[in-house]
Amino acid sequence: MIPKLCYFLKLLVFIILNNLILKLKLNIDGLLVYFPYDYIYPEQYSYMLELKRTLDAKGHGVLEMPSGTGKTISLLSLIVAYQKAYPLEVTKLVYCSRTVPEIEKVVEELRKLMDYYTKQTEAKNDFLALALSSRKNLCIHPEVSALRFGKEVDGKCHSLTASYIRAQHHSNPSQPVCQFYEEFDAVGRQVPIPPGIYNLDDLKDFGRRKGWCPYFLARYAILHANIVVYSYHYLLDPKIADLVSKELAKKSVVVFDEAHNIDNVCIDSMSVNITRRTLDRCQTNVETLQNTISRIKETDAAKLREEYSRLVEGLKEANVARETDMYLSNPVLPDEILQEAVPGSIRTAEHFVGFMKRFLEYLKARLRIHHVVQESAPQFLKDIYEKVCIDRKPLRFCAERLRSLLRTLEIADIADFSAITLISHFATLVSTYSKGFTIIIEPFEDRTPTIANPVLHFSCMDPSIAIKPVFGRFQSVIITSGTLSPLDIYPRILDFRPVTVASFTMTLARTCLCPLIVGRGNDQVAMTSKFETREDFAVIRNYGNLLLEMSAIVPDGIVAFFTSYIYMENIVASWYEQGILENIQRNKLIFIETQDAAETSMALEKYQEACENGRGAILLSVARGKVSEGIDFVHHYGRAVIMFGVPYVYTQSRILKARLEYLRDQFQIRENDFLTFDAMRHAAQCVGRAIRGKTDYGLMIFADKRYARADKRGKLPRWIQEHLTDGSLNLTIDETVQLGKHFLRQMAQPFRQEDQLGLSLLTLEQLQSEDMLQKIAQIAQQA
Amino acid sequence: MDEEPERAKRWEGGYERTWEVLKEDESGSLKASVEDILFQAKRKRYMSEGHGQVRLGMMRHLFVIIDSSRSMEDQDLRPNRLTSTLKLMEFFVEEYFDQNPISQIGIITTKNKRAEKLTDLAGNPKKHLAALKKAVDSTCVGEPSLYNSLNVAITGLVLTIYTLHMPAHTSKEILVIFSSLTTCDPANIYELIKTLNALKIRVSVIGLSAEVRVCTILTRETGGSYNVILDESHFKELLMLHVKPPPASSSSECSLIRMGFPQHVIASMSDQDAKPSFSMSHLDSTGEPGLTLGGYYCPQCRAKYTELPVECKVCGLTLVSAPHLARSFHHLFPLEAFQETPLEEYEGERFCEACQGELKDKSVFTCLACKKVFCVECDLFIHDTLHCCPGCMQTDRTS
Repeated sequence: MIPKLCYFLKLLVFIILNNLILKLKLNIDGLLVYFPYDYIYPEQYSYMLELKRTLDAKGHGVLEMPSGTGKTISLLSLIVAYQKAYPLEVTKLVYCSRTVPEIEKVVEELRKLMDYYTKQTEAKNDFLALALSSRKNLCIHPEVSALRFGKEVDGKCHSLTASYIRAQHHSNPSQPVCQFYEEFDAVGRQVPIPPGIYNLDDLKDFGRRKGWCPYFLARYAILHANIVVYSYHYLLDPKIADLVSKELAKKSVVVFDEAHNIDNVCIDSMSVNITRRTLDRCQTNVETLQNTISRIKETDAAKLREEYSRLVEGLKEANVARETDMYLSNPVLPDEILQEAVPGSIRTAEHFVGFMKRFLEYLKARLRIHHVVQESAPQFLKDIYEKVCIDRKPLRFCAERLRSLLRTLEIADIADFSAITLISHFATLVSTYSKGFTIIIEPFEDRTPTIANPVLHFSCMDPSIAIKPVFGRFQSVIITSGTLSPLDIYPRILDFRPVTVASFTMTLARTCLCPLIVGRGNDQVAMTSKFETREDFAVIRNYGNLLLEMSAIVPDGIVAFFTSYIYMENIVASWYEQGILENIQRNKLIFIETQDAAETSMALEKYQEACENGRGAILLSVARGKVSEGIDFVHHYGRAVIMFGVPYVYTQSRILKARLEYLRDQFQIRENDFLTFDAMRHAAQCVGRAIRGKTDYGLMIFADKRYARADKRGKLPRWIQEHLTDGSLNLTIDETVQLGKHFLRQMAQPFRQEDQLGLSLLTLEQLQSEDMLQKIAQIAQQA
Repeated sequence: MDEEPERAKRWEGGYERTWEVLKEDESGSLKASVEDILFQAKRKRYMSEGHGQVRLGMMRHLFVIIDSSRSMEDQDLRPNRLTSTLKLMEFFVEEYFDQNPISQIGIITTKNKRAEKLTDLAGNPKKHLAALKKAVDSTCVGEPSLYNSLNVAITGLVLTIYTLHMPAHTSKEILVIFSSLTTCDPANIYELIKTLNALKIRVSVIGLSAEVRVCTILTRETGGSYNVILDESHFKELLMLHVKPPPASSSSECSLIRMGFPQHVIASMSDQDAKPSFSMSHLDSTGEPGLTLGGYYCPQCRAKYTELPVECKVCGLTLVSAPHLARSFHHLFPLEAFQETPLEEYEGERFCEACQGELKDKSVFTCLACKKVFCVECDLFIHDTLHCCPGCMQTDRTS
């Protein structure tokens, strides 16, 4: 019995050892990198090489690698290895992703990597990595966390944790406070959170166990964490960044994943839209402020005096901190105002409220117009000076002054004051930046010229304003995504100088993507969504026939993208009249994305069910919509993607026109170039939804003859362009069907991991061979 | 929309890019790599069988479900999918009984959201062949229903096996030939897959157009295989894969089965005692002329049958002839795989032992027992059809 047991144990040890050996330890340019998988894709190796070079040079990088090739794990394993090897050079990794599920995915990959590290080195893990999200996702207070909207949770939380509320609690114990925050504040700040990997749920568990508030714990812990994973907004949105990310160390590496839309995020975070409703709510805000002030004056005049003297001192503290490099600078709080005291005209509370009132009245007057007005910031300032004698300087301090006032007045529910905060931000921005912004006042929407709905768009045209502090502060910023082509445009519009710009292709054992450009119907009528011909009966019929034919040969799911909701509605209505819809429904069920989020997610759910059950389904959706950005159609959920037309942005919009003009004047980017770039990146995003890895496969059909032109084709990512041969450029529907059928049959043949080995999947030995290294060198293309 | 029979004219059909098949492969990995994978799979088919003694389910009960929906009118197989499929099925049925003499088969068609049983489970190829010939003229309409047809097949399998008191280890199989890319089901098919799993019924699918998710799941859960055809010859190859008995599920227990080996009694007209009599198998089929003189008599109950193999209607004994059993013998002891060597490394006379042709392929195959050399085609032929090495046979005889 005993020898048998011994043998068994030996076997067990052998198996465990074997498992350990199987995982990879790589030598990347002299750096030992632990890689928690048995095999590695050649492009991952190449990606890590480029990344290492970027970190060595302490510069910024733009890297494009197709989705499904393990970008995340490559990034994490290299940067973690770098942190371990040179702990003084890189102290922190800040990983920015877009959505909560994506954040969770990153943390899981990280956990795998760290498990592998501990197994290998047998040392205790001393890394602290955590995810951060909004209060809504982290709150464990029984009443607060039950609220449904993020704003409500924030407001309620604030009313329980604000400093003066807690001060009141001291004198009056019946005043409710959040016990989790109290506990954290009393104990949590002294005791560091033990090293480990924390996703949102882990944080909550930890918080519950200790009785600490996970949200504040996380916010506090990111200062000394080795890895932080959170959303873009914590770095890019000046309002949030100031609260959360201000004190992040300078020697951090910042990664923006899925960053193909980063310029739009930047612009959105700096733009302000003011409607009449905002102004009305602002009016009530001002009245509340006034009442509170007069009340406080009777009871506690000393407090207001104290504030006054503080304002005379100016914002010196913040200034000192920024100069000594403690803080990330905030574009809403420009450097100049830090050196000055708040101007006398708005120093007392009453004067400030009076000032806000005047400003508000002015804005109201501006909204009472009947024609569109577009003007620059200096023009606006001049006008406001002439009309209501408001100077530039006090405007600039508006945001800071309001914050101070709200603090002094001890107003608990900040959420209510969002309107006036918005206005004050607008005031500060408009008086600070004379370039890069434009003001457009529209009395009505273009579609409904009879209904008065005046909007003041204060729109940012220069994405580099919001991201500038990030590039300036952190030593390495990596921008990466599956679709960043053409690579040279991002450094230009974000105004930075990268040290590495590279695009990686997908090495494939079999060609699992099949891009086809369909330019004509069987009747030889050109297919295009060009404005002049989009109402053409023949074009719509041909689009319908294309979808019908594809529905007969593609199994399971097809996703079709249109250029806009209106265009989709028109086409679908016309297909219905022509009886095409009825024919399609014999092959597959049809689901439609709408502007309603709930309806869309319902449609999506049913779509997936139909694909799962073998009935087959078609999802009609819109480029730039919810589906095109965030939803993946793996395997059978998307065997084909059809892009009907080129998804140009609506060019008649005044905001866009202003932005194009700005780009032309400032960055020498021609309007047409930018529009095409923008359209093609969205088209690439759409068709890229279907291929999410090397075992996946799918047809990519571009149904517009304009795609065949070199200027469009050349802007597709390299990994799609590679497979676009001359033979698949200007096809008719029939040819497409033949090619598609052939492709789908080829792809349905059994495909095992062994077939990939050595070609697109490498073991350590294969990786070290001479000619493989040569091949890898070709994968990265320097732009 | 393309339902009108007029569309069947050749010049109205789609382009066929026949030149694509012959495409020289200078850039793409697609054609070459897929074909290479296919070739490997072909070889692997018997390579895998060679390893160890796999238990095989020799007594098979197989239902073939043939999709007869609208998509079967597609002309990518000649003259259309339906005709081509039925022709191959005829061939398949013959091969099946040739190689699995003690097994049974049944045919189901599905169209217009319904399933229809063409023939019941039976061991006589004639009836199936007749039914298949008749089915060529039927029209293809509507969508198929995977659920309904599987349901019919399950009922058929379970009923037969219970009424005939079959031992538990008989293999129950369903083969679906699926042309459509959609299925119209009255209920959740995943529940049915669970039932199939519980009943240990193996479902395999041959797709005629592309990979459908539900079939992938269906075959994976029930332990079957799923293949999609490339062209007609590939179709035939895939179909022939199902001629071989599948490995028996390991859980089924070993048991002995009683079998009868009736002698063929030939009675001549001159014999006075001989009287013409009916065969027992004519009880349910009235089509053929009834009275015959000789026949096989069940050793247990003396019931008369004209054809073997058969299940005795009276006592339930399986009646087979010795050659039948012998023929299924080779499945249990397959010919060992030949050793593959590249042509450059091979030294010796460059002609194939079997076909006497010159060796031109990139590799040659050597029998491990007799050291004779064969070409690829002969290697496949020997392993697929002959099941014994001609080289070894020769040496056996001479020694």
